[in-house]
Amino acid sequence: MYVRALPTTDVNRNTEWFTYPGVWTTYILILFFSWLLVLSVFHCSPGIAWTIVHLAHFTVTYHSFHWKKGTPFGDDQGIYNRLTWWEQIDNGKQLTRNRKFLTVVPVVLYLIASHTTDYQHPMLFLNTLAVFVMVVAKFPHMHKVRIFGINGDQ
Amino acid sequence: MITIPYLTAVSTYFSYGLLFAFGQLRDYSRLLFDWWRTNNLQGYAPICLAHEDFYIRRLYHRIQDCFGRPISSAPDAWVDVVERVSNDNNKTLKRTTKTSRCLNLGSYNYLGFGSFDEYCTPRVIESLKKFSASTCSSRVDAGTTSVHAELEECVAKYVGQPAAIVCGMGYATNSAIIPVLIGKGGLIISDSLNHTSIVNGARGSGATIRVFQHNTPSHLEKVLKEQIAEGQPRTHRPWKKIIVVVEGIYSMEGEICHLPEIVSICKKYKAYVYLDEAHSIGAIGKTGRGVCELLGVDTADIDIMMGTFTKSFGSCGGYIAGSKDLIQYLKHHCPAHLYATSISTPSAQQIISAIQVILGEDGSNRGAQKLARIRENSNFFRAELQKMGFEVLGDNDSPVMPIMLYNPAKIPAFSRECLRENLAVVVVGFPATPLLLARARICISASHSREDLIKALQVISKAGDLTGIKYFPAAPKKQDEEKNGIKLD
Repeated sequence: MYVRALPTTDVNRNTEWFTYPGVWTTYILILFFSWLLVLSVFHCSPGIAWTIVHLAHFTVTYHSFHWKKGTPFGDDQGIYNRLTWWEQIDNGKQLTRNRKFLTVVPVVLYLIASHTTDYQHPMLFLNTLAVFVMVVAKFPHMHKVRIFGINGDQ
Repeated sequence: MITIPYLTAVSTYFSYGLLFAFGQLRDYSRLLFDWWRTNNLQGYAPICLAHEDFYIRRLYHRIQDCFGRPISSAPDAWVDVVERVSNDNNKTLKRTTKTSRCLNLGSYNYLGFGSFDEYCTPRVIESLKKFSASTCSSRVDAGTTSVHAELEECVAKYVGQPAAIVCGMGYATNSAIIPVLIGKGGLIISDSLNHTSIVNGARGSGATIRVFQHNTPSHLEKVLKEQIAEGQPRTHRPWKKIIVVVEGIYSMEGEICHLPEIVSICKKYKAYVYLDEAHSIGAIGKTGRGVCELLGVDTADIDIMMGTFTKSFGSCGGYIAGSKDLIQYLKHHCPAHLYATSISTPSAQQIISAIQVILGEDGSNRGAQKLARIRENSNFFRAELQKMGFEVLGDNDSPVMPIMLYNPAKIPAFSRECLRENLAVVVVGFPATPLLLARARICISASHSREDLIKALQVISKAGDLTGIKYFPAAPKKQDEEKNGIKLD
């Protein structure tokens, strides 16, 4: 019923909320409820609904984790302005529990989406592309790498 | 240690996610709308980056009427709060001429010096007539009066250190002094919940900063060991200096620092201790000398004691107290001393008179009464709130008590409901506190009477029921029959 929240040592207010209890559950619940929402709005098959959820998840998380840089408030005087959210969490340390969880979720979504659409063609291609981009973006070797200067600084 | 109901944590994240999503949607529609409309500012760079401003525009402005409320009287136990109206959904607020008399639980008026005081105010007015409102000069030019010299001696004696230096602004005391004390090649280890002024001073100094888990001496020891073993980054040379920065009372938690353990660890590893007593000086301890007196730590063990006069002394400014050599060095090197205007002379007189009242040197025992009253008031209020089922943070004896709200919608709900019942409280949310842990922070004063506190408890209980923040089960009401039984014996 109750959980204990230990104060963290992360000074970056943009990312320290991810270290408190309840985040993982909320993330999974949001995905599940958005699947139900898509099913009720579009009246499609469950497989198409999971594909839509997977692709929407890809768009939203790619934009907010790997594209937007900096923090949504000005108090930290812009010291994180060159880092995307993914590069900021856990103070830049790689392969922490949070990062592993966030890498596993798109893969699991991909598996569910491809299984429920029976691996049929247009969906399979789109899903595979999405999960490939997502997982490669989260590799430790891609830390602070900007391919061809895309999303680099001026 | 904060105990959150799991469902509340999940719903709080979901609420913030929703607010964030709507904010982004509005931003995109604004982008489309502005792209379609021509802009007459071609070639100008934007004043602030759109993404940096996001939190203020899309979350803070929605509940702006709960923050920054103007007052039109002295911040005593009761205060006149100016009412504001908004015609464009809280984007701008206009003051009206109406005021409402509210019970003031938001001011840091710990000892009640925030309004007219029979000993201090006549002396301040005399000093204003004699020295005028401002010295119009920095300390080294023409800004040191006899009152300034007396103030520094008085503060040093009160705090228990050989010498002190006073600065005109509390925030600037931290952010201007820390860069003077330490530079590149030094290490600052600060508590994770330290105030922004310390963070700014530390960042401005150029030293390496490491953070230890809030109020956890064992983690401090671990960090110290690691850092001393590793040395400076990249060159691995030994650190030139290590300063550990802690606060006496943490203003957002109401917790008192575990000073004896931290001081013993610092002595073991030869690190300097910098104690920021902004909220604890004058408010705790038997004679109001702060956290050292309360916990029995010898002031000679603390290398640099810093504090502000804004909270318990009803004035402005901050001080640094330490050894004579340290203060001499600061007087020659600190930019706040060399270039900033000195503290205004009537404010300095207010501090001196307040310290005289606290120590009983004015001939009455009002100081001791105030200290006893604030302790009683804080303990009574905290115990009653906990009995009602609220989650209240902070240690016993601390006059700061945050009531946890958690959900972002409860922040304005609680604040507006209390204002409707004529109770002025301060609510704090992200980014001043962690995302999950929004709270309403109550500051008890020695000038609150028992009736004021009981009325406040009734209003808070009602607002708490309406917003659903009684996260713990309420304690059962005590049965009085047993007490009567004993009396009959």
